[in-house]
Amino acid sequence: MSNYFNTLPLREQLNQLGVCDFMDSGEFLDGVNVLKGKKLVIVGCGAQGLNQGLNLRDSGLDVSYTLRKEAIEGKRDSWKNATENNFTVGTYEELIPSADVVVNLTPDKQHTAVVNAIMPLMKQGATLLYSHGFNIVEEGMQIRKDITVIMVAPKCPGSEVRAEYVRGFGVPTLIAVHPENNPEGKGLAQAKAYCVGTGGHRAGVLRSSFVAEVKSDLMGEQTILCGLLQTGSILSFDKMIEKGIDAGYASKLVQYGVEVITEALKHGGVTGMMDRLSNPAKIKAFEVSEELKDIMRPLFQKHQDDIMSGEFSRVMMEDWANGDKNLLAWRAATGETAFEKTPAGDVKIAEQEYFDNYTLMVAFVRAGVELAFETMVQAGIKPESAYYESLHETPLIANTIARKKLFEMNRVISDTAEYGCYLFDQACKPLLKDFMTKVDTDLVGKNFNEGKDGGVDNQSLIAINEALRTHQVETIGAKLRKAMTAMKSIKTA
Amino acid sequence: MSQPVVKITNLNLKYQHKPVLQDLNWTIKGDEHWLLCGESGSGKTSLAKAISGLTHSYGNIEITFNQERELPPLVYYVANWFQFKDLEGQSNFYYQQRYNKQSAETTATVKTELESFGKKHALPIDALDTILAALGFSEQKDATLIQLSSGEHKKLQLVKSLWLKPQLLILDLPYNGLDSTSRRNLNTLLEEIAKAGTQLILISNETEVPDCINRFAMIKEGQLVEIAGHERNLKGTKSVNRPVPAFLTDAVSLRPSGEIIKMIDVTISYGEKKVLKNINWEVNAGEKWVLHGHNGSGKSTLLSLICGDHPQAYANNFHLFGNKRGSGESIWEIKERIGLISPELHWYFDPSATVWQSVVSGFYDSSGLFCDPGYSKKSQTDELISYFGLDEYKNTLMNELPLGKQRLALLARTIIKNPEILILDEPCQGLDQQQTEHFNRLVDDLCKNGTTLIYVGHFDAQIPSCIEKRILLENGEVKSIETDIYTN
Repeated sequence: MSNYFNTLPLREQLNQLGVCDFMDSGEFLDGVNVLKGKKLVIVGCGAQGLNQGLNLRDSGLDVSYTLRKEAIEGKRDSWKNATENNFTVGTYEELIPSADVVVNLTPDKQHTAVVNAIMPLMKQGATLLYSHGFNIVEEGMQIRKDITVIMVAPKCPGSEVRAEYVRGFGVPTLIAVHPENNPEGKGLAQAKAYCVGTGGHRAGVLRSSFVAEVKSDLMGEQTILCGLLQTGSILSFDKMIEKGIDAGYASKLVQYGVEVITEALKHGGVTGMMDRLSNPAKIKAFEVSEELKDIMRPLFQKHQDDIMSGEFSRVMMEDWANGDKNLLAWRAATGETAFEKTPAGDVKIAEQEYFDNYTLMVAFVRAGVELAFETMVQAGIKPESAYYESLHETPLIANTIARKKLFEMNRVISDTAEYGCYLFDQACKPLLKDFMTKVDTDLVGKNFNEGKDGGVDNQSLIAINEALRTHQVETIGAKLRKAMTAMKSIKTA
Repeated sequence: MSQPVVKITNLNLKYQHKPVLQDLNWTIKGDEHWLLCGESGSGKTSLAKAISGLTHSYGNIEITFNQERELPPLVYYVANWFQFKDLEGQSNFYYQQRYNKQSAETTATVKTELESFGKKHALPIDALDTILAALGFSEQKDATLIQLSSGEHKKLQLVKSLWLKPQLLILDLPYNGLDSTSRRNLNTLLEEIAKAGTQLILISNETEVPDCINRFAMIKEGQLVEIAGHERNLKGTKSVNRPVPAFLTDAVSLRPSGEIIKMIDVTISYGEKKVLKNINWEVNAGEKWVLHGHNGSGKSTLLSLICGDHPQAYANNFHLFGNKRGSGESIWEIKERIGLISPELHWYFDPSATVWQSVVSGFYDSSGLFCDPGYSKKSQTDELISYFGLDEYKNTLMNELPLGKQRLALLARTIIKNPEILILDEPCQGLDQQQTEHFNRLVDDLCKNGTTLIYVGHFDAQIPSCIEKRILLENGEVKSIETDIYTN
């Protein structure tokens, strides 16, 4: 198998990277009809598998689960998830041959093995559905020519996919059809119907391609989403300890700070987040983030280049073949950081205090979101796709950090995200060494406004507001967020 | 022993920038147990939270604990609403999550929750069993918090407070969601701890309160007004009788007739535990049912099946609107025909929706609004909001309103589409007596047009007069089905 993207001529590469159409809700009026009466068989019953299946069944579709023999005989968690919710569960041999649509919701790392096992069992003209394109694009998996290959990717964790559905909403979703596998031309209609079945059509659907999804998803998760939040958190905590801030306070500020700060990002974009700061703090955060953008730009570009060339996935798959040597070492190192080992103190931190005392993180988030977005767009990814993989997902990872800190956050994100996160973090920390020596507690640990009179220069404030508000991630974000009406606020501790 | 325990002088408190308490004065002496009653939204909860130090207020609140007593020198407040967290300290739970089984437990069990509470306050573990038994809660020890019904969450909070026996205990709507036996036993337990030295402040509009209650008060225009005990149930003068909006009473054509619900040996179990056992029940169009049963008898689970909220519906011989569940219908097609209110629907409702969005979302059966409803739905919404007297709160967020007002908005949401079936699970929780009577009259009006009704209420006095049939659940089984019992 060879990297699919690299087999394409440049013209076709650009073509597929550029598939990006924010769909009108009128395109979903046919509901789930295309899939009504068809047999949907989901492979895997983890968080995405279970919750998507619950939604699809509640939308009137016929859903069952297939698991490996060992999972069924061992009554593993996936088996329990499916049977306790009264789904039919069977082996590949029992369920795949009669399936009209096989939904592959197993972890990325298992895709090649899973697809090789199920493909011979699939009936003529069936459909194979992915929620991430890594296997097709980076591993170059070849699917039998009579099979239709589509993607439906809800851009939220599985529990959220269910929670939003039962309240009558949905989560933003990407859909795609693999151009090499659309023999009957039914791919798009089936992807739309599946999307309605999970509720995604109520929150904004982006028509994308396997290529655009993979190249933007990998970039987002390595840089701003997981990588930079990890680097920023560790550096902030270490700085506070160095400057004598109480360790329990520092730990709590870092663990919950990203969540509170990015909650503002979720509702109002970078502008909304920066507006939570006082004027002097906003000017400072702007300046600091400009500096951070300059320092980190080459690193963001290197990550994007390696993703585009396939170098990233080649090296990662080497590590998979090598028994995850690098991954496990990095994972262990994350578990050993001082932040990870210091429990959050029993102190009350008010919501606004997270902004005032953690201005540095606001600067990190602005720098990371804008850089990731800019770098993706420069590489040929469309702004809508870039938005979902940068700004949109940042609060979701931040919520995971608030719940689990870094070590466990890395354990629950995807295989590719965890590897990419460590890779970025390893390279980014040394880059920021000089920058961090200049940082003091006014930016992290204490209230930035303390001892200042709050006065600012009109002209510079106007210029900064202008720069923030007219950035493309803001203009495109305003449009896309409108489709995700009445987003639920996360209830925090 | 009549030195003041609580002395409040010139207390001022604002709720969402509106003054609620204005120069309120209140002295509670050592031998007094108070009942605070009156209209919803008058400031009772705000006052209770101010005394408990849970909200910011201006003025003076002096609390003198008796250092010689063994009881913990604490004010303990039992909220009118349940709240719990998962093992990661978050409370991002969603509507009917408790019915979706996940292999990994994310919340603590009742037992570990109580153990950690006991440890925190150094409480004797042997005192716990009596309290659990009296409130009929002993069986729930191994249940996880997410699995509890709203009534059971209430009980858990009450168990903690009765076990703690603080010197001052404030209970906000303690009877909400409790069955009649539990209410009686709660009163006995409250009398016991009162004898042992706990002073009580009860916020409630119930008639049956512990005998030890010896002072009564209401809040009027921000001030505390003491009343005589017998005055508390007199009706207020404010009797608003607006006409029911015509779009709800116009004869509704095409109400289908025939069988709506048919359950044959319906059984719901979690692992070994059966919550519903061999339920056989038929409901035909136009029938008016009351569903009775003690807390934990399976009422909410039964209703969740009907509303398309329970995954195990697919594994049972259960027909809705003539179709077997799982024969290709979507839950949204089911919900379209049902108007539902329940404690859980309220608790999980989108707190950041405005009153207007909440009411109009009843047309779509969503929690909050995700689309543009168009002209006629918008004007019907406005009309209904006026009918419920909520005009001034139209653009207020739900979480900025007192419980009673939130509930009124959700009741408007329940009826706005004039559904074929009304499922009203303790609809009047948090409402005062007048609002309750008013709503029940409205239900009677709506039901004249052939609407099917299933009503759950733990208070016999609070049931609409149109009810004609009764199903009684006990420990997950149908204890009895009676027809034509309430017609007179």
